Amino acid sequence: MAEIICDNQSTRHINLQIKQLINQGETTFLIKEPKARHNLGVAILQPVNITFDGSVGYYCAGMIDGPTIRVKGSAGWGLAESMMNGTVIVESCVGNGAAASIRGGTVVIHDDAAARLGVSMKGGLILVAGNCGYMAGFMAQKGIMIVCGDTGEAFADSMYESVCFVGGEIAELGNDAIIEEPTEEDLRFLTLTFSNYLPQKSEYLSNNVRKYKKIVSGRKLWNFNKKEREIWREAL
Amino acid sequence: MCGIVGFLDKTKSRTTVGKIVLQMLNALGARGPDSAGVALYGQKKDKGMVVQIKLGKQKEATFIVEQLEEFGTISEVKIVAEYLRLVISLEVDIASFLKVVESLDPGIEVVSLGAQLEVVKQVGTPKNLESTYNISSFTGTHGLGHTRLSTESRVDLSHSQPFWAYGYADLAIVHNGHITNYHTMRRLYEQRGIEFHTDNDSEIIGIYFADQLSKGMVLQEVLEASLTDFDGSFSYLVSTPDSIGFAKDPFAFKPLLFTETDDFVAIATEEIAIRSVFSGSYTVRESQSKEIHIWQK
Repeated sequence: MAEIICDNQSTRHINLQIKQLINQGETTFLIKEPKARHNLGVAILQPVNITFDGSVGYYCAGMIDGPTIRVKGSAGWGLAESMMNGTVIVESCVGNGAAASIRGGTVVIHDDAAARLGVSMKGGLILVAGNCGYMAGFMAQKGIMIVCGDTGEAFADSMYESVCFVGGEIAELGNDAIIEEPTEEDLRFLTLTFSNYLPQKSEYLSNNVRKYKKIVSGRKLWNFNKKEREIWREAL
Repeated sequence: MCGIVGFLDKTKSRTTVGKIVLQMLNALGARGPDSAGVALYGQKKDKGMVVQIKLGKQKEATFIVEQLEEFGTISEVKIVAEYLRLVISLEVDIASFLKVVESLDPGIEVVSLGAQLEVVKQVGTPKNLESTYNISSFTGTHGLGHTRLSTESRVDLSHSQPFWAYGYADLAIVHNGHITNYHTMRRLYEQRGIEFHTDNDSEIIGIYFADQLSKGMVLQEVLEASLTDFDGSFSYLVSTPDSIGFAKDPFAFKPLLFTETDDFVAIATEEIAIRSVFSGSYTVRESQSKEIHIWQK
């Protein structure tokens, strides 16, 4: 395992070290004293394991494709933005725009997420153990968002094909968002997801899985017909 | 883009609040190099008010002091860079005093007034503040800080933050964002004879607090009301002699994080400002839209 102590190093230098060590074959990293620096662990395109031993700042794990990144603290705005694949786990809270525009992969947040969680997501899975803020899921096109706690206002506003599950209270549904009854398959999926990603809370969450609401698009804002819809789905 | 910070010591002791606020500000220096300032709360002056005066261009500080002696006993006088700092046992109401002071010289401006509050701000980075004003030697209980990237109004000392709630002793604010109904609100205040010193939209937050508190509202009510009275993007902090608070706009446009431990409360635009000063294990959380919070000393 490679250990990098951030100390007084610049973000550029820390990221460069990670990439150089990956090229040399290293697969596991412990990054100590990140002290909420911005832009750590961006554009990692290999299936390596990186642990940040503390809080990180903005855009951590942005544009990644394949790694597993764990943050033993909180994360600032734009966590995992535009990630293609991989797993990002944050053990505390996250700022605005977490998992925005992700194409794939999994983002797990052990505490609360702030505003605009998963906006314009185009695939992947977002799991928030706590609450989420204003306008989560805005214009989300594909993928699944699970919020175990409460949501802020304008939840799932103008959504396309994404599916959201909420265990707590929804402060206000966004435009064209509607609540559906979860299917038995949905509930099995939720139970499995809790078991996989939140094992310590899994029993409690699974026991309450029937309280979850399923939120999908009402499709009244869609401006294409069924034929175009299939083309669009194909493209995604 | 600006950076704002707040710190409150919960141990009921006086600490190096100037050093702490300055360190937090330094970590946010990249968010705004145009100007920097602090609003710090020190030991209460039993027999007077601390007045921070930005000097004008024409009159010497000694002339100003002589003119103000008729309004009370002046026990301390200090001139540093652009500021005249004095402690005066004010024997007239604040409005009358301000009117006289600011008539003494074009460009003169009372930057803060209070039994505990002292505002110091200037053009340049937070680091410049220390070299000129030795901010880190200030001891007290709590304070605010601001580092500014000007987007609309001038870059000078007057347009810098923090803003004192002009006319209302011991209350200061710092703001990151844009108050988009600023001109509408300003016109209404000016119709009532309330004077503005700058074209900075943030100034109106201080004036708003002074106005609402003078009408009998309490701090919590003003914070709540501000969420609907102000339009635009805002995360702002407000401080009084015994409290510090914040409000975030309904759309959560601007960042603001905070942490509270048994010993202190720290609030900042970015977590890096908190982590660079306070070690140990604690949780920092981004505030949500429409969130307000007040901590008492």
